[in-house]
Amino acid sequence: MSTISLKIEFGGGLELLFSNQRSHRISIPALVPASSGSSSTQQKGEGDDAQPTKPADLSYLIFWLRDNLLKERAELFVENGTVRPGVLVLVNDTDWELEGEGDYQLKDGDEIVFISTLHGG
Amino acid sequence: MSCGNPVADADALMQRRKKYDKTKNCVKCKVAEGNLVIRHAVYCKDCFLHLIVHKFRRALEPTINPKPDGPRRTTLKPAGNLLIGFSGGLGSSVLLDLIHRCYIALDKSTMPADGGRDHPRHERVWKKVTVCYVEVCDAFPGMQDKTHQITEYLKRYDELHFVCLRIQDAFDRSWWEKIGGQRFSANLGVTLPDEALFIQSLSSSADSLDSLRTYLSALPTPTAVTTSIQTFTRLLLLHTALQSGSSHLVLGTSLTSLAVSLIAGVSQGAGFNIREETQEEWTPEPEALGPTLVPLAETESNEDRKKSRQGKRTVRVVRPLRDIGMKECAAWAWWSGVTVVGKEKWGWAGAKPGIGTLTKDFIVGLEKDYPSTVSTIVRTCGKLAPKGEVSGTCILCGRPAQRGVQEWKARISIRSRPPPADATDKPEEPAELLRPSLTPYLCYACHTTLTSKSARPVPSPWPAASQSPVVSLPVWTEARLASTKGGDGTEHMHGEVMQTRRVGEEEMKGIVNEFLLDSS
Repeated sequence: MSTISLKIEFGGGLELLFSNQRSHRISIPALVPASSGSSSTQQKGEGDDAQPTKPADLSYLIFWLRDNLLKERAELFVENGTVRPGVLVLVNDTDWELEGEGDYQLKDGDEIVFISTLHGG
Repeated sequence: MSCGNPVADADALMQRRKKYDKTKNCVKCKVAEGNLVIRHAVYCKDCFLHLIVHKFRRALEPTINPKPDGPRRTTLKPAGNLLIGFSGGLGSSVLLDLIHRCYIALDKSTMPADGGRDHPRHERVWKKVTVCYVEVCDAFPGMQDKTHQITEYLKRYDELHFVCLRIQDAFDRSWWEKIGGQRFSANLGVTLPDEALFIQSLSSSADSLDSLRTYLSALPTPTAVTTSIQTFTRLLLLHTALQSGSSHLVLGTSLTSLAVSLIAGVSQGAGFNIREETQEEWTPEPEALGPTLVPLAETESNEDRKKSRQGKRTVRVVRPLRDIGMKECAAWAWWSGVTVVGKEKWGWAGAKPGIGTLTKDFIVGLEKDYPSTVSTIVRTCGKLAPKGEVSGTCILCGRPAQRGVQEWKARISIRSRPPPADATDKPEEPAELLRPSLTPYLCYACHTTLTSKSARPVPSPWPAASQSPVVSLPVWTEARLASTKGGDGTEHMHGEVMQTRRVGEEEMKGIVNEFLLDSS
């Protein structure tokens, strides 16, 4: 399978940054560049045809969301290469801290929830 | 030999520290796989939800009875009703949901297993529960009015009374009289731009919205604006609690928010009231109360009514979510289907973040990487007992004021005085020296809020607001000033009168003459 289908949900006010839509269904590549840091379009000019790849993980998804779904105020979602402090991430109803955070490898049908705790007090 | 290069040698990179202790199984039931990590402990969803209810009850229930329980747990019998301070934020939404489940809907899943069917815990604890929302949008330019959204949101909870206030009610005499505050005729203001904070009569009374905006525009820093709005909100809630016959006011301050307010409070000089930041007993000043303040139950006899009016009414302010972090609140809200209306950030064009905002950014960042630190902050602050004598209550914030504040400030301040207009040692006019000032009535934190200036020019939130040198005061402050003996504010609330004046050389010599050694 070359793509992975995911269900993404936003809560706690984060949906305001994503077209005011709580629920999204997306497809992302199953394999992504291994060197992906801040941009999905980064390429290493080594003159080698076979680029190192890795299975798509949560870190990749966060940047994919920022580059493809986020409509405004990227700094309210992403900071220092990961989600901003105060954003709770659940992977299939489980804290991403139990699944290895950004290194969790996404599977087809996964449900990822991003909840902001900052739009309120 | 390892070169230490992670690309060549996989072991060169240090393993990332796990965010949880031991295994991924729930630390409570030890059976189910965990769903959430809270300060390195793993919980499954079911155990987590029960834990939140348990922590909430544990923080609130010991405070319900007027006197703390003895060795045996007694029935919960509060002295009055319950008022919930609701801001639309995450904490207050979770608080409202928990209060409703545990005390109104009597959701069986929130009841402790012990006690049995007829346990007194299953009866109604609170006769009347009121929710109070204070709309602050009129204090900040361009902020959205969420009153309608909040009103619609609250309809999902039955058997709740709803009171909606606006932040400018703090300057509204008709609101003050409606809730039973002492009527007063004086029109007193303060020279806020002047550090001396002189009390003066206002030539005319502006409407409450203008008064609020003029007051905020005259404040010296963005921190002062945020702190003032928080103080006004607190006092509006406290007076609403009195009016609704509530003995308890509950606020949705989470563990994270509490850490923020403790550190931010100490940073602004409110260390003397550090214990009040967690829990406090507030009693209104007697001269501020009108004769009709307490709406009494119809069953009370005339004897009881007289007693209630004369007796001291106290509102206990409790923060039942103080052991529950922001992350736990978010997880509870998500798994329990609680939607959050949300609160907007407070700010205006050109304003730099104040102490509160900077503290929140710091604490939230800390919670992500070092989650136990936040609970350590609250635990450590809970062990602090400030030194110093209490000397009355602050006329602005209603909290205990520390004795000797102005004396201490004068000792530690370096002030430059303008040279005298002429060379002769003319004593200052007595009228000038005894000009009434708000200063002696204020606690250290409120005095600092009103007088501590920024080195840089601060853009006003309302540049078009009147730039009058004398601004209106909140109604509870004005009521107390108007009732002070003499009515001119010269008698100090705390029993001290302080004045400073330049002493001429001849006068100084006269005072120390008998102690001077002969020069011969």
